[in-house]
Amino acid sequence: MVDKVLTANRLTDGVSVWLNAAGEWATSLQEALVARHAEAFAALEEIGRKAYADNKVVDVNLIEVQETDGILWPLRLRERIRAQGPTMAYAPGYAPADPEFIAV
Amino acid sequence: MIKIWRETGVIANDPWVIETDEVKAAGEQRPLLSLDALIARANESNDVGLGVVITPFDDVGRLEPYLSRLEIVAVSFPAFNDGRAFSQASLLRARLGYTNELRAVGDILIDQIPLMLRVGIDSFAVSNPTALKRLEERRLPGIPHYYQPTAQAAEAGETYSWRRKPSPAA
Amino acid sequence: MYRYDEFDHAFVSERVAQFRDQVERRLAGELSEDAFKPLRLMNGVYLQLHAYMLRIAIPYGTLNSKQMRMLAHVARTYDRGYGHFTTRQNLQFNWPKLSDMPDVLAELATVEMHAIQTSGNCIRNVTADHFAGAAADEVADPRPYAEILRQWSSVHPEFSFLPRKFKIAVTGAERDRAAIQVHDIGLHLKKNDKGELGFAVYVGGGQGRTPMIAKLIRDFLPEEDLLSYTTAIMRVYNLHGRRDNKYKARIKILVHETGVEELARQVEVEFAKLRDTELRLPEKDVQAIAAYFAPPALGERPEGWENLARWKKADEDFARWVKQNVQPHKNPDYGMVTISLKPIGGIPGDATDAQMDAVAEIAEEYAFDEIRVSHEQNLILPHVALADLEPVYRALVAAGLATANAGLITDIIACPGLDYCALANARSIPVAQEISARFGAPERQAEIGELKIKISGCINACGHHHVGHIGLLGVEKKGAELYQITLGGSGDEQTSIGEIIGRGFEPEKVTDAIEKIVDTYLGLRLDPQETFLTAYRRVGPQPFKDALYGGNAAEAA
Repeated sequence: MVDKVLTANRLTDGVSVWLNAAGEWATSLQEALVARHAEAFAALEEIGRKAYADNKVVDVNLIEVQETDGILWPLRLRERIRAQGPTMAYAPGYAPADPEFIAV
Repeated sequence: MIKIWRETGVIANDPWVIETDEVKAAGEQRPLLSLDALIARANESNDVGLGVVITPFDDVGRLEPYLSRLEIVAVSFPAFNDGRAFSQASLLRARLGYTNELRAVGDILIDQIPLMLRVGIDSFAVSNPTALKRLEERRLPGIPHYYQPTAQAAEAGETYSWRRKPSPAA
Repeated sequence: MYRYDEFDHAFVSERVAQFRDQVERRLAGELSEDAFKPLRLMNGVYLQLHAYMLRIAIPYGTLNSKQMRMLAHVARTYDRGYGHFTTRQNLQFNWPKLSDMPDVLAELATVEMHAIQTSGNCIRNVTADHFAGAAADEVADPRPYAEILRQWSSVHPEFSFLPRKFKIAVTGAERDRAAIQVHDIGLHLKKNDKGELGFAVYVGGGQGRTPMIAKLIRDFLPEEDLLSYTTAIMRVYNLHGRRDNKYKARIKILVHETGVEELARQVEVEFAKLRDTELRLPEKDVQAIAAYFAPPALGERPEGWENLARWKKADEDFARWVKQNVQPHKNPDYGMVTISLKPIGGIPGDATDAQMDAVAEIAEEYAFDEIRVSHEQNLILPHVALADLEPVYRALVAAGLATANAGLITDIIACPGLDYCALANARSIPVAQEISARFGAPERQAEIGELKIKISGCINACGHHHVGHIGLLGVEKKGAELYQITLGGSGDEQTSIGEIIGRGFEPEKVTDAIEKIVDTYLGLRLDPQETFLTAYRRVGPQPFKDALYGGNAAEAA
């Protein structure tokens, strides 16, 4: 069974967020609470539904990740890009995504 | 809960009912007939004061021979983003010259009501709670500067031929 | 260019107030996302991968320095210091907060800009030839009609909930620089035998999942009938366009499924009833709007010729830039300058706030304060005296905006792709960057000549890949990116949809594939004057399939 984390975008500023163990929406994927079985997935989905209904976040999704040596790695390229930002230097002061993390 | 709203305010004791398998007009209530049922009834009787509810697929032109016998035409919004009824309303008013009550039924958002008024819809079956609240507070979100003529009369003379403003004391 | 009057100002501020109220209700939880989404889309607000995206309308791609400075200010103050110019002549900001948007829109309103109807199932930004009003080959300036359509389509009650988005483009020359045949309505402004102005009307063009070339439904529509005829088309579409399937909801599908003769008949029936109504355009209104687009007072600058010759001789880079990026103007003392937003190895279409300010300054000093955005993601200064080309060039060099590649292989059009866009399957920008870097040498580019590469990161085709001479479509296969190549597309007056030539390429193989295609072309062209597109139309896909797939029929399409 694949591990999953809950992700969304914050309503006020649209920033990508992931649900952490304290039930807060963190801006780093690496802080995400990992769910490892069906009941945990269901619980996360319920939290997601409530957060959406409470107008805290939008576009809530459970996504698949792999944990290796404590690093969470989304299985989908799209989610890896969401976690790290655009994959090239796009503005001064903002580092591009880590190519090794992004790579298939 | 559904309330009927017109620019004069909420209408109490509205008699019109959309009949379904479970719900039929009873007592003082009057049925909003489907287009086919309306045509059949009109052809088989001399009844006037009839009501019809048309779907977005219906050709409003088929109502033309019966308009004088209709007290109300309801146009449908099965989903708020199904905008066919805006064109149907426009044709009913501007092309066919229909002058009685034109009601929107279905999924209606408060932000659409000003647009519906401009295409000639003049009553609304509203169930959305936010919409009801705003209507009761008389807080309609429209912009009183129009860039196009529509079925509802509006005031011309705003520099260019296509521009309009709301009619005074509308 | 058009200047707002009191009516326009009032409308935009009311719209800002309306949206501010909607945002406040949303942030306070009084409005759900389902109810808010259509409202925010009609104000150009998308949700993308990393943040919201705000798409600002630049009507028919025309703006002045004051507006450009405001865009720079917004980029600096509310975003990450840059903006992206799009294939529909608009500007996108990638990182604005929803809570800031009412303020952003209020600031934009002070310079006559907005984000109304840049998204949603309504009539979008009406685009036009980016050389309008200046091109030597122009019959008439299409922009007054684009402005009339823009006004008329603003918050049109009947057409705010269409089956799908609706895009109109207008051109005023025989050469189509607005790609009108891949728009929902394409209008070709022209004159009849009596010298009267009117339009050839095309309907049902579009790219995306099912690319189609628009069909001519009216050979000559008198200008006074523009609004009534457009209303007829829109009404037929609103009533009969499919609403059961998002991918079959554009008017191109309605044209295809109804048949063009029958659809044209339905439009004509409706038009006949609308023709003599209040929608008829009075000549005085057309002239009043056209007056805003009168050309600037272009003084005689005959010294330009001699200066230009001297400067070109002294500076090879300048000469190359003039050759590539300056086009003939109606007035022989002037030229139309393309400011390339495609630096070698850079992100196509992006400009920093500093660059936007630089363009504003140059436009103010040397270009009669007029700037255009092209659908090929470059900026244009339509009126520059030849005598001012050298100082303009120097200023562009200082701002990193002097890449001499207009229309060449490194002048790539690319959508934001999977680096930004929630709809994407693959990235476009890194692919564009690599191709640009590989072919960056000026001599190589000059040797290859005109070659338009267009890249889309998904089937929605925002990169317009279907009409690229070389088109690249990014897809996802088994969790990895793959790029399909099409050849022979074109968005000009001889519009053609590119043909898929075979199995897709992994990201690391794409640039080599492009190189093989280019080398094949160079090997088979009749002479250096035969462009890639002309050569392709002469020889067809086979030589390219052979080069890429080595005669392997299973891999070639």
